Amino acid sequence: MSIIVEQVTRRFTSGGSPAVSEVSFQAPRGAITSLLGPSGAGKSTLLRLIAGLEVPDAGRILIDGVDCTSMPVQKRGVGVVFQSYALFRHMTVRENIAFGLDVRGSPRAETDARVDEMLRLVQLEALGGRYPGQLSGGQRQRVAFARALAIRPRVLLLDEPFGALDTRVREELREWLHSLHERTGLTTLLVTHDQQEALEISQHVVVMSEGRVAQAGSPEVIYNRPTSPFVASFIGGASVVRGRVESGRVAMGSLSVDVAASAREGETVQAFVRPHDIKLAKSPGGLVNGHPPTGRVERLKPVGGYVKVLLRLPTGDEVTVEVPRSEFDTLGVAEGDAVRADVRSATVFVGDYAI
Amino acid sequence: MHPSTLVLRRRTRTLSGPAVVRWALIGAALLFLAVFLLVPLVAVFTFAFQKGWAAYVAAISDPEALAAMRLTLTAAVIAVPLNLVFGLAAAWLIARFRFPGRSLLVTLIDLPFSVSPVIAGLIFVLLFGRQGWLGPWLAERNLQVIFAVPGIVLATVFVTFPFVAREVLPVMQAQGSDEEEAALTLGASGWRTFWRVTLPKVKWGVLYGVILCNARAMGEFGAVSVVSGHVRGITTTLPLHAEILYNEYDFVGAFAVASLLTLLALVTLVVKKYVEWRSVAS
Amino acid sequence: MEVRSWVLPLLLSLAACSKSGGGDAPAPGGAVTLLNVSYDPTRELYEDFNAAFAKHWAAKSGQKVTIKQSHGGSGKQARAVIDGLEADVVTLALAYDVDMLHDKGQLIPANWQTRLPDNSSPYTSTIVFVVRKGNPKGIKDWEDLVKEGVTVITPNPKTSGGARWNYLAAWGHALRKPGGSEATAQAFVENLFRNVPVLDSGARGSTTTFAERGLGDVLIAWENEAFLLTQEVGKDKFEIVVPSVSILAEPPVTVVDKNADKRGTRAVAEAYLQYLYSDEGQELAAKHHYRPRSQAVAAKHASKFPGVSLFTIADVFGGWKKAQAAHFDEGGVFDRIYVPKAR
Repeated sequence: MSIIVEQVTRRFTSGGSPAVSEVSFQAPRGAITSLLGPSGAGKSTLLRLIAGLEVPDAGRILIDGVDCTSMPVQKRGVGVVFQSYALFRHMTVRENIAFGLDVRGSPRAETDARVDEMLRLVQLEALGGRYPGQLSGGQRQRVAFARALAIRPRVLLLDEPFGALDTRVREELREWLHSLHERTGLTTLLVTHDQQEALEISQHVVVMSEGRVAQAGSPEVIYNRPTSPFVASFIGGASVVRGRVESGRVAMGSLSVDVAASAREGETVQAFVRPHDIKLAKSPGGLVNGHPPTGRVERLKPVGGYVKVLLRLPTGDEVTVEVPRSEFDTLGVAEGDAVRADVRSATVFVGDYAI
Repeated sequence: MHPSTLVLRRRTRTLSGPAVVRWALIGAALLFLAVFLLVPLVAVFTFAFQKGWAAYVAAISDPEALAAMRLTLTAAVIAVPLNLVFGLAAAWLIARFRFPGRSLLVTLIDLPFSVSPVIAGLIFVLLFGRQGWLGPWLAERNLQVIFAVPGIVLATVFVTFPFVAREVLPVMQAQGSDEEEAALTLGASGWRTFWRVTLPKVKWGVLYGVILCNARAMGEFGAVSVVSGHVRGITTTLPLHAEILYNEYDFVGAFAVASLLTLLALVTLVVKKYVEWRSVAS
Repeated sequence: MEVRSWVLPLLLSLAACSKSGGGDAPAPGGAVTLLNVSYDPTRELYEDFNAAFAKHWAAKSGQKVTIKQSHGGSGKQARAVIDGLEADVVTLALAYDVDMLHDKGQLIPANWQTRLPDNSSPYTSTIVFVVRKGNPKGIKDWEDLVKEGVTVITPNPKTSGGARWNYLAAWGHALRKPGGSEATAQAFVENLFRNVPVLDSGARGSTTTFAERGLGDVLIAWENEAFLLTQEVGKDKFEIVVPSVSILAEPPVTVVDKNADKRGTRAVAEAYLQYLYSDEGQELAAKHHYRPRSQAVAAKHASKFPGVSLFTIADVFGGWKKAQAAHFDEGGVFDRIYVPKAR
């Protein structure tokens, strides 16, 4: 394991709730691990603790087996990329990249060679003499990567590196980061609130909420087998519907889904249904394919290549369904129509629900 | 006509109002400036040269005037670097760290601004005078602070205390610490980070603060007057010397000395404009 | 903080090699400096006198002496010397201020005033009025100063020696006229100060206010200041009006023993003051409009100084200590009668 975090806690105000509370996880060597969660989850704080920019109130941090908890940031051998790029505005791109090497007293020739290498790595060979102010956002971030990588860090820590960029650039750089990682094979920790980013490029995901780890695992596991209501609702944009176990199925008003045999009869449950796990059908007249309708279409929102259908169940719950454009056209549904919905899969949590 | 230019025209017309009002306001502002700024400026030089170039040169090359000039320069040459170092250190501490006594330090920095300069001078007399707290201790060692050059330097340092800190602090706070943190992660020590990352970022704030500090140091009257002792040729600065000449009905002399201070003020303004221009350009 | 740790040593080394107000201690047989802390109007007198004494002393002893001057309100200057201004001699406006050097500063012995002739006052002066040319308000005597619509300029008795002489002269006049009493005297002075728009800190400041800033109808001033104004500075602009009665002002001089002994300048300092009584010193005093003590010199300049009926502070007030305590100390008569004009 390349980064091991053990029971790390950090408070900012005494008596207030901690920003990071007894967090433990392990980031595998050579992989990209994402720290995913909503704002205020404590992910950036955790990253700063690992980098050494903050000191934990309790717990241990090990990098490559070495206990770094009380080591100053300069000695940890971490490369950090910030959301705001944090480039030295009064230095050229070359000088920025060379900074870490100059600090280590590297000879001029060696430094120059390494800087050239880094510029090639991030594909900015022609821009060595420019100042950060003369570059675009995407270019600046690549310089930040080059600067962090120049010192041959043991791990790479990325604090929402693409947060300040617009969507197109963000997606491009996501791809770029993926291929960069394949080239360098460096253990990387990526803090992000963007699920797509985390699920797309990381090999390991740690979901955080309110300073604690909610779940850790591969992107597949996180997506398909969330272990808590929070993770289930956070990942994949699921709608939550309350229901009851009835003869081996969960009845959520007019929706129903098979459920594991372990669920007890009459138990109240929370079911998390993903928008594309529901199939709609419609037919004029009261019955739909011989079944009573599930609910009424409240709103239709065309979004690019699919349509968001807001379905209102008789129980009052609202369910969001995403229907691919082509399918929707054949469906011929309009607002106010009664439709039938089939749930292909849902994640169900047993437990009381509060009114 | 393109719709957007139509909109633009309408907006500027609404904002400007009738031309008469505009010109009246501009006229009033210019008149105010003329009366309170231009006329005194011109008066200083008119009176200084009233008896001709020879009298002017005689006035400013008088040994007592030269001694006053030397003392003024000495006070400035000591006060400005001291306050530069202190101001930078204090600004960095306040901007980047949380520590007990932080708000006290911020208040202390502003103290010289809120205290009347005469009171400031009096504080030093009460501290270092023969009958002050440290009086006996200094007398034993035959050291003289008040009514001597050190007292004047002290008073000047005190009243120009806040300038550098107050100019640099907001700049540091506005710029945030991201770059410094990046430098730390790249292995730079705190000192190196300060020199290579922090300082270059705030250099215009520093320069501006130094200019203001210098201008005040050379022109200070109240505090220096209290601790000076007014020993002619020894403990008089340029402003004090101007007062002495005025009290002796040597108006040409007084205004000649005053013109030196005015020239200093004008030079300060020019340098300040240049610094502003360069900081916008970069 | 690392900055502060070297500030104090820097300050101390500055202090140690400082050119203090007192000048350098004399090298044996070498040059010597004296500091004369004086009151406000004596600038011109001592400029001349210092040059004369330096010449005399060089001829007499072969030693080069430089005299540094400091001028300001008498009370203010006395306080400065007590606070550490290293004067070798003081030449102040009134004996009470010099007494303070003994009482508060332990710098001189109690019997200082007996050490030199004439109560240690080598020259005297008195208090007169200065008015604008033509005397438009018709000021003739003290009573005219309390009239409605007359503005009077006089300095602040708290800081200026001349101001205290002015005050006591006014009080003395009201006390001594027929039907006068402490009560009527106080009423008179109160009315007088009601006509005063601004108080400067020293006699010279008031003179400047009257002459340069053009404030006031009449200036109450030292006689020598009045002469300076009418004969040198503001020829044809001002007139002197001598009141019927005035006070004999005796500005005293003394060596500041503690400082002079410490700096080894006692011999020169004593010679310096004694020279004030010499013919040359007395001539210079007369030249600068002070009334010389020497009968011979006074006779030569008799036409210059008008005769005035003079009372002394001992006559009317029982001496400076009593006058200061009653009138000028904290809570004294002046504090009670003078209310600064509300702005």
